[in-house]
Amino acid sequence: MSAVTAEPAVRDWRQTLVERPAIALTGVLVVLYLVTATQAPGMLTLNGVRSTLLLACPLAVLAASQTLCMLTGGIDLSTVMTANFAAYVAANQSGRGPVVALGLALLVGAAVGTVNGIGVGVFKVNPLIMTLGMASVLLGVVTVGLVGDGFLSGSTRLLPVLRTVASGTLIGPIPNNLVVWALLAAALIFGLARTGLGRCIYAVGDNPVACRLAGVRIWQVLFAVYLMSALLAALAGLLFSGISGSVGPDQTNAYLLPSVAAAVIGGTSILGGVGGYTGTILGALILTVLTRLLLALDTTEAFRQILYGLIVLALAWVYVRVTGQRGSG
Amino acid sequence: MSTAPRAVAATPLPRPSSRANRFRRRQGWVVGVALLLGVLVFWRYSQIPAFGPFEIRGIVAGTMTLALLAMAQTVIVISGGIDLSVGAMMVLSNCIAARLMLDQDLGPVVLIALGVVAVAMLLSGLIGLVAVVSGVPDIVVTLAASFILAGLALVVLEGPGGGTHPRFQELMVGGFDQPLPSLLWLAGVLLLVWVPFKRSRLGIATYAVGSDRAAAFLSGVRVGRTRVVAYVLAGFFSGMAGVVTTAFTGSGEPRASIGATATLTSVAAVVLGGVALMGGSGTLLGPVLAAFCLSLIPPLMLGLGWDPNYAEVARGIIIIVVVMIGGLVQVPRRSR
Repeated sequence: MSAVTAEPAVRDWRQTLVERPAIALTGVLVVLYLVTATQAPGMLTLNGVRSTLLLACPLAVLAASQTLCMLTGGIDLSTVMTANFAAYVAANQSGRGPVVALGLALLVGAAVGTVNGIGVGVFKVNPLIMTLGMASVLLGVVTVGLVGDGFLSGSTRLLPVLRTVASGTLIGPIPNNLVVWALLAAALIFGLARTGLGRCIYAVGDNPVACRLAGVRIWQVLFAVYLMSALLAALAGLLFSGISGSVGPDQTNAYLLPSVAAAVIGGTSILGGVGGYTGTILGALILTVLTRLLLALDTTEAFRQILYGLIVLALAWVYVRVTGQRGSG
Repeated sequence: MSTAPRAVAATPLPRPSSRANRFRRRQGWVVGVALLLGVLVFWRYSQIPAFGPFEIRGIVAGTMTLALLAMAQTVIVISGGIDLSVGAMMVLSNCIAARLMLDQDLGPVVLIALGVVAVAMLLSGLIGLVAVVSGVPDIVVTLAASFILAGLALVVLEGPGGGTHPRFQELMVGGFDQPLPSLLWLAGVLLLVWVPFKRSRLGIATYAVGSDRAAAFLSGVRVGRTRVVAYVLAGFFSGMAGVVTTAFTGSGEPRASIGATATLTSVAAVVLGGVALMGGSGTLLGPVLAAFCLSLIPPLMLGLGWDPNYAEVARGIIIIVVVMIGGLVQVPRRSR
């Protein structure tokens, strides 16, 4: 609208921001971090950096699930329940060695992802509904498993390896789980940008009809996406249980909405086809720092929630304004 | 009439479908859900030796909140959106009502109830306005709003508490074995609020906007205003859901997870009720009946001697299977 009167320099500046949202997001992150540091000086120490990275990791992995699904125009509301369930299974089977326990936990993710993928890909169930129903099923299974001497009861012994990976420190401000996260991020960023499946994920989200006409087997793409999403969720659950040092039937549930918000703030369109994991990483870091800031503000839980909502909304609004990426849904 | 030859008619006019066909297409799903509900109620009836007004009151009063939330969600879905803040709005209304109604007489309590519904309409309209003006997808706006509303609920009421007038409880959800007030309220809301709205210009505009936003805009529908009105109406329903919760439980409960669960269940009820998530079609009756079906599952499980926790599993499977079947049945209607 105002492009006619805007000076070229201004337009270039805007153009850069549109093309490279990571720049603006990094700016937001740095400013937010510094603001937080004024309230909580511990943020500027190595330990502060470490705890920020440590806490951002499970959120970022959960947000990776949402990013993949959102790129195809879907969403996965079953991630947190998958995460809880996987963490339980790993803790329950911890007596049988780390390989079996972790394998079974990831198998939970694979099973959930397979069902979600078949539902969304083959039967074309709306992803919101499919994963919502799946979350219900998983919640029921976990609850039943915990009652009396169900198959999950007595799952309190955490795998030592999880504790080490999820909350240990590699060197200086770098927690161990950052290694997992970095490998994952590299694989996702490379995979989305350079592989055939990655391009298909964007294409399916952008225009499914054109994809079908171009010979893309959409159901295979969707199947792969929901399978990866559930596997990532299981991994996030394991990491989270390592950090918290415990398992609980709803311990990651509070991360569901923030994981969607992290992807949205990172510039992934909930309508599909636009975005990427780089932005999501920054989104997850921003939300983690924001949570820290709100904790440091010494106010009530109520105002923390209100501020959190307002800031997420404001960030999304600014993002849409700056990039001109207007959603219609 | 339409078969009269016309000089310039290049394509033949589409033949009007028969009444029966139209009814099947428009109301078939609702009839199906109603039949399902009938079967479930009969099942429950056969489970209990003394199935009487007490049982019916329990079912109806316990489902009213969910039914109203399903209505709120349906209005937004018909207008082509989705509202993830209806549950939080219900919790907030519940908390405001419970806090203000404590130790009041019946007159002020009724006024407070009206005021709470008005506040919910205002807030919901504001959310809609933000979604329209900002251009941020409404799923994100309402997600953020759900945090804000849940926070506000905690400001109003720090923990479970508050109260209401016993007479008001009877008026809204009926006494010990009196299901009539709840049923009358639901029927009243459907007949006196929804039906007139649906037939009004605004109602038709809501369907048009949900069906095809661009086409609606080109036809002169004020898209933004229509969407905001849909949010205001949804606020009416979710505000009422909050008031009903206050009457049913006699207190306020600011826990955010209640709102989140309620929101997700409302989406499930909408889908089970045969309202397409793409928008532009559906009625309010279907989701209301579906809400009753959903809340009958746990007691049925209990009656079967199963662990009622399996109800969540059954609920999830039913949602998925119904949508799958619906998708197979309705594929020719909307192929994208």
